[in-house]
Amino acid sequence: MTAHKSLAVQRGILGALLLIGLWEGVARGFALPAYVLPAMSDVLLGVWSKRAMLAEAAAYTLTEALLGYGLGALVGIGLAVALTLVPRARGVVVTAVTAVNSVPVVAYSPLILLWCGIGLASKVVMVALAVSFTLFLSTLAGLDRVDRRSIDLMRSFGAGRLALLWRLRLPTALPLILAGLRVSTVRSIIVAIVTEMLGAYGGLGWVIYQAVLQIDFVQVWSAIVVASAASLLFFGLVGLAERRLLFWKAS
Amino acid sequence: MSAALAASPPAAPRAAGLARRIGLRVAALLAVALAWEGLVILFGIRPFYLPRLSAVLAAILATPGAYAAGFLRTLTETLIGFVTGGAFGVAVAVAFLRCRTLREMVFPLFVVSQTIPVIAFGALVVLWFGNTLMAKAVIAFYLTFFPVTVNALIGLESVDPRQIALMRSFGASPRQILTRLQLPSALPQTFVALRLAASLSLVGAIVGEWFGDTTGLGVLLLQAMYNENVVAIWAALLVSALLGTGFYAAVAFLERRLVFWGAEQ
Repeated sequence: MTAHKSLAVQRGILGALLLIGLWEGVARGFALPAYVLPAMSDVLLGVWSKRAMLAEAAAYTLTEALLGYGLGALVGIGLAVALTLVPRARGVVVTAVTAVNSVPVVAYSPLILLWCGIGLASKVVMVALAVSFTLFLSTLAGLDRVDRRSIDLMRSFGAGRLALLWRLRLPTALPLILAGLRVSTVRSIIVAIVTEMLGAYGGLGWVIYQAVLQIDFVQVWSAIVVASAASLLFFGLVGLAERRLLFWKAS
Repeated sequence: MSAALAASPPAAPRAAGLARRIGLRVAALLAVALAWEGLVILFGIRPFYLPRLSAVLAAILATPGAYAAGFLRTLTETLIGFVTGGAFGVAVAVAFLRCRTLREMVFPLFVVSQTIPVIAFGALVVLWFGNTLMAKAVIAFYLTFFPVTVNALIGLESVDPRQIALMRSFGASPRQILTRLQLPSALPQTFVALRLAASLSLVGAIVGEWFGDTTGLGVLLLQAMYNENVVAIWAALLVSALLGTGFYAAVAFLERRLVFWGAEQ
C-alpha cells in the first residue's frame, strides 16, 4: 500500500516534470512565437526580472483577498449562527440571501466599483461578498446536520440555547465550515483578480489586464504564475489549519 | 390495468407538491420584488445605490432588444462551453480510470488546478482567439472541464469492486460494465460538479466579455459602469440573475430526472 503510494507520488512528480518538459520542448522546438506559447524558462525569467513589481502586485492582491476573506467569513458564519439563535428570521434572511446570490458574484463588480471607487475598498467588499455567501450556506448546512436526539439529550440535562450552540452545533458544523473556508481561499483570490481587471491602482489582476492591452504575453504568463503560487500558498495554509482543528477526523 | 391504478395515486400528490413548490417560489419572488420597491421608497435610498425595481424594469423594457441579444449571446457562450466541457471531462475521467499510469501522472495536476485562479488564463484565451464567441466558450469550457473530471473520476472509482466482479462473472464486456454500472454510479458525484460548473461557466463567459466585445451581458455591465448608469447596471444584473438561476435550475432539474434514485446533497 505505502509502496504503491510512494510510486503514485513519484508518478505525480514525473507528470509535473513531463508537463514542464513538454511545454519547454514544444515552445523551443517549434520556435513558437511568444503570443502562442512562451517557453517556461522565459516565463520564469520574466517573473525574476520583474520580481519587485510582481511581488508588490501580489502583496496588494493578497491584502485585498485576506481582508475580504476575514470580513466575509465573519459575516457569513455570524449570520448563519445568528439565524440558529433567532429561527423565526430564517425564512426572510434565506430568501433575501438566495435572491442576492442568484446573480453570479463577479457581475456585482461594476456596481461595487462605482460605489466604492477603484481603490482597495471595492475589492475587499467584492471578496467579502463572495466569501460570505459560501460560508453562510456551508455554515447553515453544517448547523442543520445536528442529530435531533442529541439536542433532546442535551436539553434534558438543562442545556440552554448558547450551550447547545457552543458544545453541540458548532463542533458538528465545524467540518463543513472549514471546507467552506478552504474553498473560499481560491474564490477570494479569483474575485480579487477579476475585480482588479475592471479597475484598480495595482495588483495582479491589474498587471494581467495591462499586459493584455499591451499584448505582452510573457507578462500575462508571469502574473498568472505568481497568482497561482499565491493561491496555492493560501490554500495550503488553510488546509493545514483545517487538519489541525479537525484532529478527530482521521485523514 | 392494476399497474396503472397503482401508479396513479403517487403521481397526483407529486404534481400537487410540484405546483405547491412552484407557488412558493413565485410567492418568494414577489415578496422580494415588493420588498425591493417598498424599502427603496420607505428609506428614500438614493438611486445611485439602489434604484426602484420599477425603474430597472422600465430600463429593460425601453431597450428590450439589447438585453435579449446580450442574454442570448452569453447563454450561447455558456452553453457551448458547459456542454463540451462536461462531455470532455467525463471522457477524460474514463480515460484516467482505464489507464492508471496516465491517471497518476496527470490527475494531481488537475487537482492542483482547482486551487489556482484558472480564470486568469481567460486573458490568454482572449489573446489567442481574439474577441470571438469561441474565446468565451473556451473559457467556460475549461472552467467546467476541470471540476467535472475530478468529480467524475471520484464517482467512477467509488463503484463497489464486487459489483464489477459480479457483472464480469456474467460475461459483461468492459464497455457494458462502463455504461451499465460505472457511469450511472458516478452520476450523483458528477452532477455535484456540474451544478458548480453551471455557475462557473457563466462567470467565465461574463468575465471573458470584459476583455472587449460588442454584445453580451458582461458588455452591458461594463458599458453601464463606464456611463456610471446605476439603473443600467441593475438591469444587467437582473438579466444575469435570470440567466444564472434558469441555467442552474435546468441542471438541477436534469439531475433530479437522471439521478432519480436520490443524489447526495
